[in-house]
Amino acid sequence: MKAVGARLPRYDGLGHVTGRTQFVDDVRVGKTLWVKALRSTHHNAAITSLDTSKAEAMKGVRAIITHKDVPKNVYGHLEGLGVPGDEPLLADGEVRWLGQPIAAVAAESEAAAQAAVEAMEISYEERPALFDIRNALDPDAPEIHQWGNVYPHYGPYNHRRVRKGDIDRAFDEADTIVEGVYRPQAIEQVPMETQVSLVVPEASGRLTIYSCTQAMYFSMGVVAAHLQVPLNKLKFVGGTVGGGFGGKVDTATETICALLALKARKPVKWRWTREEEFLVSSTRAPWHIELQDAVSKEGWILGRRTVTLHDSGAYARFSPYGLTKHAFHHSGAYTIPNLRFDGFVVFTNRVPTTAMRGFGVTSVSFAVETHMNRIAEVMGLDPWELRLKNANRIGDTSGNGVVLKDPSTVAVTLAAADRVGIELSAEYRGMNEEPRTGALLPEHLVAQQNLNGEGA
Amino acid sequence: MRATALMIQRMTLDVLFPASADEAATLYGDGEGITVFAGGTIILPEIAAGRLVPERALMLHKSGLDEIRTDGDRVLIGAMVTVAALAEGDDPFLAGAASQVADGEIRRNATVGGNICSPPGDDAQRGDLGGALIALGARVRSTGAGGERTEPVEDFLAGDRAGRLVLELEYDGFERRTGAHSLRRRHAHSYAIAGAVACSRADGSDLRVAVTGVGPTAVRCRSVEQSRDPADVLKDVQPVDDAVATAAYRTAVLPTVVREALDHLEHA
Amino acid sequence: MNLIVNGSEVEIVSPPLTPLLHVLRDELDITGPKAGCQQGGCGTCTVLIDGEPRRSCLTAVAAVDGASITTIEGVGQAEELSAVQAAFYKHYAAQCGFCTPGMVLAATALIERKGGPVERDEVLEALGGHYCRCTGYVKIIDAVMAASRGEVDSVDDLPVPEPGQPEVLPKGSPA
Ligand SMILES: Cc1cc2nc3c(=O)[nH]c(=O)nc-3n(C[C@H](O)[C@H](O)[C@H](O)COP(=O)(O)OP(=O)(O)OC[C@H]3O[C@@H](n4cnc5c(N)ncnc54)[C@H](O)[C@@H]3O)c2cc1C
Ligand code: FES
Ligand code: FES
Repeated sequence: MKAVGARLPRYDGLGHVTGRTQFVDDVRVGKTLWVKALRSTHHNAAITSLDTSKAEAMKGVRAIITHKDVPKNVYGHLEGLGVPGDEPLLADGEVRWLGQPIAAVAAESEAAAQAAVEAMEISYEERPALFDIRNALDPDAPEIHQWGNVYPHYGPYNHRRVRKGDIDRAFDEADTIVEGVYRPQAIEQVPMETQVSLVVPEASGRLTIYSCTQAMYFSMGVVAAHLQVPLNKLKFVGGTVGGGFGGKVDTATETICALLALKARKPVKWRWTREEEFLVSSTRAPWHIELQDAVSKEGWILGRRTVTLHDSGAYARFSPYGLTKHAFHHSGAYTIPNLRFDGFVVFTNRVPTTAMRGFGVTSVSFAVETHMNRIAEVMGLDPWELRLKNANRIGDTSGNGVVLKDPSTVAVTLAAADRVGIELSAEYRGMNEEPRTGALLPEHLVAQQNLNGEGA
Repeated sequence: MRATALMIQRMTLDVLFPASADEAATLYGDGEGITVFAGGTIILPEIAAGRLVPERALMLHKSGLDEIRTDGDRVLIGAMVTVAALAEGDDPFLAGAASQVADGEIRRNATVGGNICSPPGDDAQRGDLGGALIALGARVRSTGAGGERTEPVEDFLAGDRAGRLVLELEYDGFERRTGAHSLRRRHAHSYAIAGAVACSRADGSDLRVAVTGVGPTAVRCRSVEQSRDPADVLKDVQPVDDAVATAAYRTAVLPTVVREALDHLEHA
Repeated sequence: MNLIVNGSEVEIVSPPLTPLLHVLRDELDITGPKAGCQQGGCGTCTVLIDGEPRRSCLTAVAAVDGASITTIEGVGQAEELSAVQAAFYKHYAAQCGFCTPGMVLAATALIERKGGPVERDEVLEALGGHYCRCTGYVKIIDAVMAASRGEVDSVDDLPVPEPGQPEVLPKGSPA
């Protein structure tokens, strides 16, 4: 391992500083057509009519596609994991979020493509929209998704569950119960390069797809599925991403470009405007997280009950996976022997949400760490000592039943305290990750220490 | 959803390049069907995105309106003087106001004429130089239907600016006390949340106060000028909501911003 | 219309109100300037116009007829980096690289204008209109200050790739 700890130059650094790095938008192939999309102007509506004939007859227009042109229109980002698909590539009969693509045009210029979009005739019948996840389960909430307002495919459940230990006993034995509600909001990732792809139909019948995706093989699978072609018909060229931060995990432009390239038999490019990037690209999800901790007066966290609502937007995409990561991290970097977690992926009429820097985890870390401070405040404890005391150690069992071999919470917490100039008592300063003994192995942790990961 | 495409090809544009101020005035006529193009910092993205398709564009960059001159005590600023030139100019008060607009790169395109003619923005309030110009007691010389006229900046801003071609601004050079304060986000090119400027004669008389960034144009604050009470600013303007700040926030902070500006003037 | 782009005179056929950014990228195929927002807000399109940094997306080509334009392509090559480029390379001031052309040009102009070491505040003022979503700015600011002090004028200790060899690997690295 010569690279670890060594100062290596960036392999792409010289390209970057000389401006020679070729981003997707910088690739030049002759006679490229431009793409524009007809997008929903409603949050929730039935499409009562759509007529693209005027647009088709316009000068410079080379291809138009609607849902009828997509071999497999409805697909899901988690189909590879056996979750059924729920999202149309192009809206079919209804729209569920403002900006949802309905039809797409490839034309000889960006202007001609936009003019064609404006010439498309569409009418809607508006429906009541749902924006607040907290109202999604109300009896009078509009039902906006074919599966109901909650994602139903967590095995036999309609939510992600974690059960560990005896949660009721923990709350019976608690000296204090500390509650908190945390609501991290949606964030647009704002990569400096907006979504873009260029698809070139090759003489061999293959498609070369220049993509800004963060997830090459995954995007390849998505395009192949919608097109119903084997993977060997697609040659993806990626690896140069002008910033992603999670915003380029969902496949945004590639599939529509590929279909248009096939139909027009010409290279086709779609570069989103900054406005599109802000309005219709997937954002980090908003969450609603309720924590309830059973705490002893010595500052041990005996148990935690959690209810989480994850705003998935109009379709599932990766949200069920993000919530699973969230669930696995909901005890934070601390050992909590008794857990009960119920997390729901909730549909709303927002743009579908996705990853951003720690998919699902950042939201729960924010909640947990804020909650730790709240516990310290309520109990009159030092927040650093509270963390160090409850910190994961070798032999502790995580929320999802993993016996920890190399936790680093203590080391990281001590280093952080050091950096910000916190003076800790000798007892806490001398802590390490070694297995619990003596005062650090109270009664309530003994049982879980013997679980060896089996009982969770 | 608004159209967002590049519309270069859709522009069947007639672009005019007047070589003098007189020629510009003649070509402009009563302004019917003419779109004035100054630095382009507001208007070019609109044209490029196809949201604005001018019939005829009047490009002013060769019209000789880009000079700052003095005539006796008067200072005359051509409409095409860039905000960067003002920021580096001799008048420290104007330079201060100019150096708050956008960032250095945008200021090299942006013009003073474009600044006081900027149409109300959807997401931010513009026209920040208007405040400083009002406080200086500046006048605008413009042309259009009915010919040339010169009027105080505050009247020009409060009136219907459409149909006027701004040629020049002028103010009287005398010793002043000045004060300014503006509240903005850290990013150098973000718009002001609220700004206040004040000028008086060296002896403190003839106080002139204006605020910017809280509504579609800069506004002269006559109530504050009379009472010298910063709270009275809310009698002069009603702050608006936009992407930069809420009306409620602006309303809450504006008196403090005005107080800061008056304090600066007091201690100048 | 004519422009002198990176030292060569070129005739321009785009319509007069075409943004300089599109003239460079689409008429001249000079792709260093990037279209990050096309409305002045991000700085990825910044070029030097007669030596001064300006946003090419806000500049109508007719307004700069006859001017001399410098894009990142005109600043330096991999084999002979400018001081600013070398500093960005050494300080890891480029991550995804999308903001880098604009940053390097703005920094180059700042240092040229100042003619000596620049202060942190001056860097903030000069680069304040440029967004970088990757680096968090610290490394960029460090790089510009180092370049202005002449502390990075060669990249001898970071190897330069052979032509045709895409990756730059340090001496003695396993591959
Ligand atoms: C990122 C960014 C940040 C900005 N920040 C600020 C800020 O902090 N404060 C601020 O005030 N502005 C700001 N602006 C807006 C703008 O840059 C300035 O207001 C600038 O001074 C406008 O001048 P211009 O020459 O570029 O106008 P143009 O875009 O050329 O024109 C603007 C409008 O004025 C009209 N016009 C221009 N000149 C004349 C004239 N002589 N006579 C009649 N009509 C005319 C045009 O027809 C057009 O409608 C910002 C812009 C951007 C892109
Ligand atoms: S593209 Fe010009 S500033 Fe963003
Ligand atoms: S390096 Fe990615 S935006 Fe700056």
